[in-house]
Formats: sequence, structure tokens, C-alpha cells
Amino acid sequence: MADLFGPLVTAFSLPFMARALVVLLALSLVAGIVGVLVNLRSLEFISDGLTHSVFPGIAIGFVWGGREGLFVGAMIAAVLAAIVLTVITRRAVSGDAAIAIVFTAMFSIGILVVSRQTNYAGQLEQLLFGRLLTVTAAEVTQTLVICAIALLLVGLTLKQQVFRAFDRTALAAAGYRPLLLDLVLNVAIALVVVAASSAVGNLLVLAVLIVPGAVARLITVRLWLLFPLAACFAALCAWVGLAVGFEASVSAGIDLPSGATVVLVLVAGYLLVLLGRLVFDRMRRPALSAPEPEPATA
Amino acid sequence: MNENPSQQRIPVPLALRVSGASFAYAQTPALTGIDFDLHAGEAVALIGPNGSGKSTLLKGILGLIQRTEGTVEVLGQATAPAGTVGYVPQTDELDPEFPVSLEQVVMMGRYRELGWLRLPGKKDRRAVAEALETVGLGHRAKTRFGELSGGQQQRGLLARAVAAGPRLLLLDEPFNGLDQSNREALVGTVERLKADGVAVLVSTHDLELARAVCERVLLLNGNQVAFGPRESVLTLENVQRTFHEVGVEMDQHTLVIPGHEGH
Repeated sequence: MADLFGPLVTAFSLPFMARALVVLLALSLVAGIVGVLVNLRSLEFISDGLTHSVFPGIAIGFVWGGREGLFVGAMIAAVLAAIVLTVITRRAVSGDAAIAIVFTAMFSIGILVVSRQTNYAGQLEQLLFGRLLTVTAAEVTQTLVICAIALLLVGLTLKQQVFRAFDRTALAAAGYRPLLLDLVLNVAIALVVVAASSAVGNLLVLAVLIVPGAVARLITVRLWLLFPLAACFAALCAWVGLAVGFEASVSAGIDLPSGATVVLVLVAGYLLVLLGRLVFDRMRRPALSAPEPEPATA
Repeated sequence: MNENPSQQRIPVPLALRVSGASFAYAQTPALTGIDFDLHAGEAVALIGPNGSGKSTLLKGILGLIQRTEGTVEVLGQATAPAGTVGYVPQTDELDPEFPVSLEQVVMMGRYRELGWLRLPGKKDRRAVAEALETVGLGHRAKTRFGELSGGQQQRGLLARAVAAGPRLLLLDEPFNGLDQSNREALVGTVERLKADGVAVLVSTHDLELARAVCERVLLLNGNQVAFGPRESVLTLENVQRTFHEVGVEMDQHTLVIPGHEGH
């Protein structure tokens, strides 16, 4: 037993592993909570658009300011993209086409910017696939700050965000401005994308944002349980993913990219929960065919 | 709420006044020439065929649809004071899979008063419980909203509006597809709210129900066909003009429109 669970603890006594874990745990908390809202609002496609549109910001920030300047550029791009997106989805007749066009264009701009750099391939790879294990202490701080802002935005509007997801018309009738709430949520999503980009990479951010929320939906129909469940599931997968990657490298000499390993553990966790759900439903079905416990009306 | 007998002599205050109003979707006129008012404790029925602008008028009063002409005053003010207008939409726009209990849906009616930061407290939970009792669904509080029958969902949304303590209540086709017991529960709730001084504007194509709960009737078909006390407005001629059907037949309780489902 000690051999099996030992790596889950000992690996993180190394400073670079501890930093990676701190970054991922902060991300898990925020991405879990934001991800549940993404799921309830069916914003998966828009989130995908945001990951692409934040990319040029990351690239420009990287070219101008190096690794330290990356976050500033990305933050600016993220907030701009979130505003543009909120307006597009409200105005455009065909929202999906507009989002796809704008954000693939943004992504291409990012690649052009990076391609002007000397070490093009290596740097592009870092931006797209992350570099979790070389995160510096300063970057940990920046990630924590960005996560805290996103958490604050969503936390302060959580009741209303759920109301908006359930019944937009009634929310507007109650005197709220759905557009303002949409903007807040889109900015929060964009901030998660920024925070997660340097860790798991721009291409894999979507998994961190979407899988935990989807898993929580499979586990429970109780509204306020969804948020802690998604966050805990993400945190657990991050921890296991990091440990697996470390163990593979130390014991077997296989060098697994850590971001991709974490994402694969997330997806494996999703499949496991999905399987569990299917089995559970199958076992419960005979019980459901029994007579209804109570008539439909009062 | 009107326990004080001296209050009875005060003229009943106006809850809603719509004067010469037109409403439009993206510059396309949807509804013109609307002129009516509604007093506290009174119910007005909005009657017209599908697409006649019943929902448009309700959303226009809420400010969700652009008003191109005229005025709308709620409780004597151009912008409705926060929390004074309750709205009960049709349930078919809601996701039946949404993970939320009936109780939580009704609690949404309290959010406006709670503001951004506060969590629901004792007072809010009591208001939710009372609203659920008012619509007769106290025993279903913990049930997932999507698992309720259509009629119960409708009553649940009414409870959400009631929990906010509105002075004016707008109901969009609340009687659609309800069975007898749900209808009776809904009629009973509307009667109770009126007795508490709430003004009710309800869109329906059910004349029987309009007769059961409404003092006045507004006939609608892209514009205002007629408005007034129900017995003088609900004439065969007016109804034929509203539904553009000469084949309309009416008796004391029912409206028969060829091609429509009669009630």
C-alpha cells in the first residue's frame, strides 16, 4: 500500500512539483465552479472560442515581455475577447458562425506573432501545450491572483448566474441585466483560460473548464452540490495526474508531458463516472417501473 | 393586508396605466394602440388568438420589449420600483433537465431583495414556504422542478413571483394545458392574491377562466380591439372581430372557434 500511495505524497516534496500542484489546485477550484456554470448555460462552444481568442494575447505578451509579460498581454486579450464575445452573441443573427470566424482569426494572429520569434517551434509548443513543471514562483503568484479575481467575479454573482441559466426572461423581468451577468461570466471564463494556459497549455484548457462540470452533472441533480463536486473532482485529477506523470518519469523513464497527463486523467475520470452512472441507472430502472408513489396533483 | 376598515374608503390605487402605447421587435411593430388601466385587487384578462401580441404586451410592460409610443406607468411611476412586478412566463421555455428543486426555483423570487451578497435567511425561507403553501405545493418543495407536471411547474413559477411580494402580477397563459385540479388551485391562488390587493394581468384564451377571475377584459389582435367590464366587452361581435372568424360561436361559458380547440 505504501508503495502504491507513496508517490502521491513524496513527489510533491520537490519544489517544482509543489509549485505545479499549487497552480493546479487553484485552477481546479475556479475551473470547477466556472465550469458548472458553463455546463448549465451550455457555453462549451463559446468557451472554446475564448481559448482561441486569448491566444494572440498570450503570444503578444510573450513576445514583448517574455515569460513575465505573458500574463499582462493575456489578461488584456481575455477581457477584450470576453466583451466582444458578449456583444456578438447578443447581436449576431448566427452567433456560432460569428464566434468561429472571429476566434479562428484571433488564433491565427497569435501564431503569426509567435512565428516572428527566433525559437519559434519551441515557444509555440510551450504556449499550446503548457509547461507545468517549469512554472516559477512569480508565475504561481500571478496564477493565484488571476484565479482569485475569477472566483470573486463568479462568487459574487453566483445566485444570479444560476437564475439566469435557468430562466433568462424571468431574470430580466425581475429587473436584472442579463447582459451584465453574461459579461461577468465571460470575463471569468477568459480569466480561467489565461490562468490555465501557462499550466496545461492553450489547447488543453477546454478540458479543465468543461470536464469537471460535466462530471458533477453526472453525479448529482442537487444544485449547490454541483460546485464543490466539480472543484473536488478537478483537484483530485490534478493531483493524481501530476503524480502519475512524475512516477512514469522516475520509475519507468517515460517523459510524459504533464499538462496532457492531467487532462487525460480528467477524461479517464469522466469515463469512469459516466460508466458508474450508466450502471446505477440500469440498476435503478426496475425499481422505477413500480407504481408512482403519489398522484401527480395535489 | 387590508385589515384596516378605514382603508376601504380610500379610492383603490392604480397599479398599472398603459396609455397610447405601441411595442416593436427590432423596429417591426408588434402591437399598437394599447390603452388600459388596472387597479389594485383587480384582475384583467388579455384575450386574443395566437400571435395577437398577448406575450408582447406583458413583456412590453416589463420593459423587455421596446416601446415605440405612449407611456407605461407602474404604481404611478415610469420605471417600476424594484420588486413590485411579478412575472410568470410559460413553462415550455425552461430546460426540464435543469438540476434545481422547486424550493430553489421559488427562492429565486427572493434574490432581488437579497441583493448580490446576502445568502437566503430565515425570513426568505419562510416567504418561500408560504408562497408554496399559497399555490398548494408545500409537499413538493424538495422535488426537482423538471419532474413536476406541467401544471405544477406553472404553479411553481407563480409561487416564485408571489415570494417576491409583488403589487402587480403578469401571468402569461397560465392555464394552458392544466387539468381540472391544477386550474382550481390556480384560480384559488389568483383570488387570494387579489384579496391581498395584488393587481393581476393574465393572458388566456379561456373565456371561462376569464369570467372566473377577471373583472375586466382586454381583447387583442395586433391592436386593442376592446377594453372594459367583461360582460360588456365579451360580445359575440367583439370576439368575432378579435379572432377574425365569423364562425365563432359563444354561449354563457364557452367560446367555439373553428379550427381551435374549444374550451
